[in-house]
Amino acid sequence: MDSHAAPLRTRDSIPARAGVGLRFRHHQEVLEARPAAAWFEVHTENYLGGGSAPAYLDAICRDYPVSLHGTGLSLGSAEGLDPAHLARVRELVKRIEPGLVSEHLSFSVAGGNYLADLLPLPLTEEALKIVCRNVAQVQDHLKRRILVENPSTYLQFRHSTIPEWEFLALVARRTGCGILCDVNNIYVSACNHGWRASAYLAALPTEAVAEIHLAGHTVRRIDEARTICVDDHGSRVEPEVWALYAEALARFGPVPTLIEWDTNVPPMAVLLEEAGHAAALIDEAESANGHALAA
Amino acid sequence: MQTATPSLLELQCALRASLVAHDDRGISAHVVGGEIGAGERLDIYRNTFASVLTTALRLSYPAVHRLVGAEFFERAVRVFIETSPPRSACLDDYGHEFPDFLSGFEPASSLAYLPDVARLEWSVNRALHARDAEPLDAQRLVALEEAERGRVTFALHPSASLLRMDHPADLIWRAVLDEDDATLSAIDPCAGPVWLLTERLPTGVEVRRMSESAWRFTSALCEGRPLAAALDDARDFDASVVLADHLAAGRFIDFSLNETSA
Repeated sequence: MDSHAAPLRTRDSIPARAGVGLRFRHHQEVLEARPAAAWFEVHTENYLGGGSAPAYLDAICRDYPVSLHGTGLSLGSAEGLDPAHLARVRELVKRIEPGLVSEHLSFSVAGGNYLADLLPLPLTEEALKIVCRNVAQVQDHLKRRILVENPSTYLQFRHSTIPEWEFLALVARRTGCGILCDVNNIYVSACNHGWRASAYLAALPTEAVAEIHLAGHTVRRIDEARTICVDDHGSRVEPEVWALYAEALARFGPVPTLIEWDTNVPPMAVLLEEAGHAAALIDEAESANGHALAA
Repeated sequence: MQTATPSLLELQCALRASLVAHDDRGISAHVVGGEIGAGERLDIYRNTFASVLTTALRLSYPAVHRLVGAEFFERAVRVFIETSPPRSACLDDYGHEFPDFLSGFEPASSLAYLPDVARLEWSVNRALHARDAEPLDAQRLVALEEAERGRVTFALHPSASLLRMDHPADLIWRAVLDEDDATLSAIDPCAGPVWLLTERLPTGVEVRRMSESAWRFTSALCEGRPLAAALDDARDFDASVVLADHLAAGRFIDFSLNETSA
């Protein structure tokens, strides 16, 4: 039974099509109505126990390619990874053989406590070493490559010395991990910190980008004069983010793309509409690619 | 004033203090301010931390939430989060200390039955999310020598809990979730104690009452009392029927042989 020696297979790779983030309220509907989503992504931490949730996931994995997206490994923790959590993730990965496994460039554990958010890292040489060490440990443990996602952030640290896009590229180069490029997060962070979103995209190593995330955000008013952009995954993708996504596709080519929606989750039909929009842009990028190759 | 550059570990512990204990002293000097100040930026993360955990506890303790109301619940939870922040990234596992916290939470002291309702809700939460496990194959017991069989103690299924409550928490819990005010007002909160079994069935989670003797017998078996001794203790009722029911229902997942036999 022990699979230490054997590399873990992946059941189905994730197609370069538009998928949908799957939440509990749609489990039953997915099994009964078989909606036309190209693939689904689920949050790893929602399926680490027993009972009905993992049973649904097993059934859904029989019909669709599934990707696992984690929020709890805390790749940026200086105190190292929680071995018990990593072991539970490994069990789930072994069981469902997901097409992709991803996590975040952030930390969520400090002093032994889980802080229930994807917290920003100071982007320093020390943090780079620690993130690379933790990513390598996860990849060794899971015996597969993972993707690391750029977070949305609301603050930066004074002692950061490396721009986020460079930091992410360095993590990918040093560990061999892929990049999950969250286009909405780039937009949100760019708004909050005065970055140029297009320049961020242009700085990412094309060959490492293996998935794209899209989601809605809100511009929150602090007072008359000031606003902050909040990544709340509670609405449709904004037009500016669709435009940035088209730029990303032009640069990276067709990439598996996910519609994320986590608060006030709408009917599946709305998610499929959003996925349809992404699919149309992927088709355009594909034909542009074809023309470029033919020319 | 020059501020020394913190190590990553120091910075992360300072951000932890900011989120959990609302203490920004170690972190704000390291945050880039500008139009939006460090405190306002930290507030965004603090709000997420509190609201994610409040939602997690509301989902695990829906009857407590309804009994005390949203405002009171939130106030209690804010205090609880500060003293017992999560230790795991699986939020389904978060909040097992909440019933004990409520026992000592002075503003809730007039609701003596509240901690019992909370304990019951935690057992339901555990039944929903506990790991899956294969039931014990009764043939393994049959294969034992007679003397060995007397030394058997059982491991309860991880989704099952045995609870003894001073208050009729099961009746209160059900009436609250059914929003059945007529039934709720007819319950005598002092009509206890009650002996309960919570478990996950293929159809969902079930909470049912047991007789005191069946409950004591079952608890003893799962706490290391050898089978022969437990049967001996339970002479006033037919414990073998209870045992057969547990085995048939798959409530035990394993057994071991107690070294000190009856």
